[in-house]
Amino acid sequence: MNRRLASLDSWLGVTIFLAVWQALSALGLLDPRIIPSPIAVVAGTASHLTLAQFLGDVEASLFRVMAGFLIASVLGVVLGVASGWYPLVGDLLRAPIDLLRPIPPLAWIPAALIWFGLGEPSKVFVISLGAFFPAFTNTLAGMRKIDRDILNAARMMGLSGWRLLYRVAVPAIEPDILTGLRIAWSLSFGVLVAAELIASQSGLGNLIVRARELGQIDLVVFGILAIGITTLLTDFIIAQFFFRFRLRWYVKATTAGLAGTRER
Amino acid sequence: MSDTLGTGSGPDGKAKATVAPGQGECRPSIEAERQPGWAVSRHLRQTGLPLLSVAVILAFWEGAAQLGLFDASTIPPPSRVLSTVWELQTLGFPRGSSLLTHMGSTLGRVAAGYALAAVLGIPLGMLIGRSLRASRMVLPIVTFARSVATLSLLPLAVLWFGVGEESKVFLITYGCFWVLLTNVIDGAKNVDPALIRAALMLDTSPRAMFYRVILPSALPYIFSGLRLALGLGFMVIVGVELIGTSIGLGALISQARTFYRMDLVFAGMVAIALFGLLIALGLSWLERLLLPWARESK
Amino acid sequence: MQSPRVERVTEAVANAGSARPKIEILQVSKQFPAEDPARGLAVSNVSLTVGQNEFVSLLGRSGCGKTTLLNMIAGLVAPTQGQIAIDGKPVRGPGPDRGMVFQSSALFPWLTAIDNIEFGLVNRGVPKVERRRHAQDLISLVQLSGFESKYPRELSGGMQQRVAIARALALDPEILLMDEPFGALDELTRAEMQDELLAIWQKRTKTVVFVTHSISEAIFLSDRVIVMSPHPGRIREQIVIDVPRPRQRASVQFAQFYETIQRAIE
Repeated sequence: MNRRLASLDSWLGVTIFLAVWQALSALGLLDPRIIPSPIAVVAGTASHLTLAQFLGDVEASLFRVMAGFLIASVLGVVLGVASGWYPLVGDLLRAPIDLLRPIPPLAWIPAALIWFGLGEPSKVFVISLGAFFPAFTNTLAGMRKIDRDILNAARMMGLSGWRLLYRVAVPAIEPDILTGLRIAWSLSFGVLVAAELIASQSGLGNLIVRARELGQIDLVVFGILAIGITTLLTDFIIAQFFFRFRLRWYVKATTAGLAGTRER
Repeated sequence: MSDTLGTGSGPDGKAKATVAPGQGECRPSIEAERQPGWAVSRHLRQTGLPLLSVAVILAFWEGAAQLGLFDASTIPPPSRVLSTVWELQTLGFPRGSSLLTHMGSTLGRVAAGYALAAVLGIPLGMLIGRSLRASRMVLPIVTFARSVATLSLLPLAVLWFGVGEESKVFLITYGCFWVLLTNVIDGAKNVDPALIRAALMLDTSPRAMFYRVILPSALPYIFSGLRLALGLGFMVIVGVELIGTSIGLGALISQARTFYRMDLVFAGMVAIALFGLLIALGLSWLERLLLPWARESK
Repeated sequence: MQSPRVERVTEAVANAGSARPKIEILQVSKQFPAEDPARGLAVSNVSLTVGQNEFVSLLGRSGCGKTTLLNMIAGLVAPTQGQIAIDGKPVRGPGPDRGMVFQSSALFPWLTAIDNIEFGLVNRGVPKVERRRHAQDLISLVQLSGFESKYPRELSGGMQQRVAIARALALDPEILLMDEPFGALDELTRAEMQDELLAIWQKRTKTVVFVTHSISEAIFLSDRVIVMSPHPGRIREQIVIDVPRPRQRASVQFAQFYETIQRAIE
């Protein structure tokens, strides 16, 4: 059950999937006007789309997601920490947030279009609404399950107030914050695509819309895959950054096994 | 409930079994514990303050609109939204389509797509999860399929199934399926081997092993998958309805926007929120009913 | 062979005899909020003094208020009635004049062993070089050389508790408060840790208040064992263990103390 074998199996799975898809197309079992073969997707994309166009769309989409995500994660983490630390803040914020949470972020799109027009602000607004809740919820959940003994130990060593918060509570919940941010990031992309499908002149969602209007199914499929890959890749980068620079203790704890090394 | 699209993964990249608790008691801060009389006011504060904060927000909103501090047509006050809800139910928008019609149509689509995802996802997930090799082979495909934004499939869905109900149901099924599948696979995978050994010592047949050991211990995972999927399905349907249809809550708010009827947009959003809230409550009630042993101990 | 000395504690203050009192607990009660007030009464009218450099154990079943009493000495929990004083000054909150070791070790999981030990020194603004040297001394005191840069979760339970003890000692407190520090360890590690704790205690003289539910642990370590009874938490008896250290765990005398304490608990 070593890692090598596991990744081999993963590659095998992907290869089989692509091979079956290609074979079904080649045998004429899949109508190319409805679902093009993998090779056709690559070939068609190469002829319909220039690299500069594609990078332009990626840039436009990433800009929107990052802007919305940054606003949401700062707000979500700060309010989540405050809600967990000060009972008064938690009690005041709980009801409004619980009432807004059930509204899917996409349902804000019409309102956002009326308030902010068709431009960037409305997209950023909707994305940040979607990303806010997971960032907030996970941060707050982390605050609620902080080990009390850890706080008490720090207080015995003379910490209190602000210093207790940023030297002990915040580092303790960093894994929860990361979880929240990763969910928020993925959700941002989902919201982004919807916003770009509805009203936009650029971005990966718009790439799909343009391709469909021109009847370029291969490009539509490429657009779908491109969004998925962008989401996965950026999520991977965020996670690696945290694991490398902020959460080494967390990674070590989970990979070394909680049992740890034996006593001499 | 709608705060998870695609990934419900922990920082280690593994799917998390539980959604972050939205409810539950606020952990009292330690500072507060030392103030005398704090304990007495605790209950009052935990129920009173939330009500108060909502009341204050609504009052300010209403008052500011009445005083003309902002344009009531772009941010309609609560009283206006309420009367619009009523108008929507009696007159309908578009005329003849009442609020209940819209809600019923949305609910029908979600229910169909969700049920289909469950029927496909649960057995398939159990099957894959019990084979280490199979679960490793499908992992990258599942991870990728989950990362594909469901709404980006809309043009393809229309191409495959036309503009009718089928394409909407397909998209909901797609969105729900992968999240559910991930959780079911995890559930089937994470059965405590000690339980299986114990059951083997009790002379358990393979069939009984599945139905009486593996399935029950995977149930909490399945439930959390069902919960995540429902939130997702709900989000997808609103997005789909925004784009190309005339009946349904998403369509309602989308059309209301084109007529610049912000009060209708808000009324529709209230209905959506209510819907989401009720479904989430219903599901957690069902979970408590079916899985009393899996309740988290405090 | 003398038989164990048992003092009945009724109205009288359980006191440390001639030694100058380090910790004074005077008629302290703690009422936690509960539907039934009787159940919420964790500690009821407890008085106790602990002498300078004395090793005192609080022993009893769960719910007898021993941990609550310890937390009140720590200043983490405020008494509803009565007074607790250290060196004659009332306790107003937690502070670095008392070091504390928890059952869960309560190490900061994001800091390495040595960074955990230095945590309190950072608070105090000790320069880095001095900090490190001090922490290294403690690392060798608790025999963890070579494990300085391990994270807590990479260490075994026993090693975690050694780090926790070193961390509590880092600010050189005069009082060490220990809340079932070895409760989660296996029997063999536990005995080892008890030996080491005594060695440390003899090297760096401290006043120790030690909460435990193990009778033999209390006999092995303490100068005096305070037996508490639950519902509400009260001091029932105190037993002075006037046996020179190192004590033999398998001696007849040990067994006699064991029986006396067991009877006191029941």
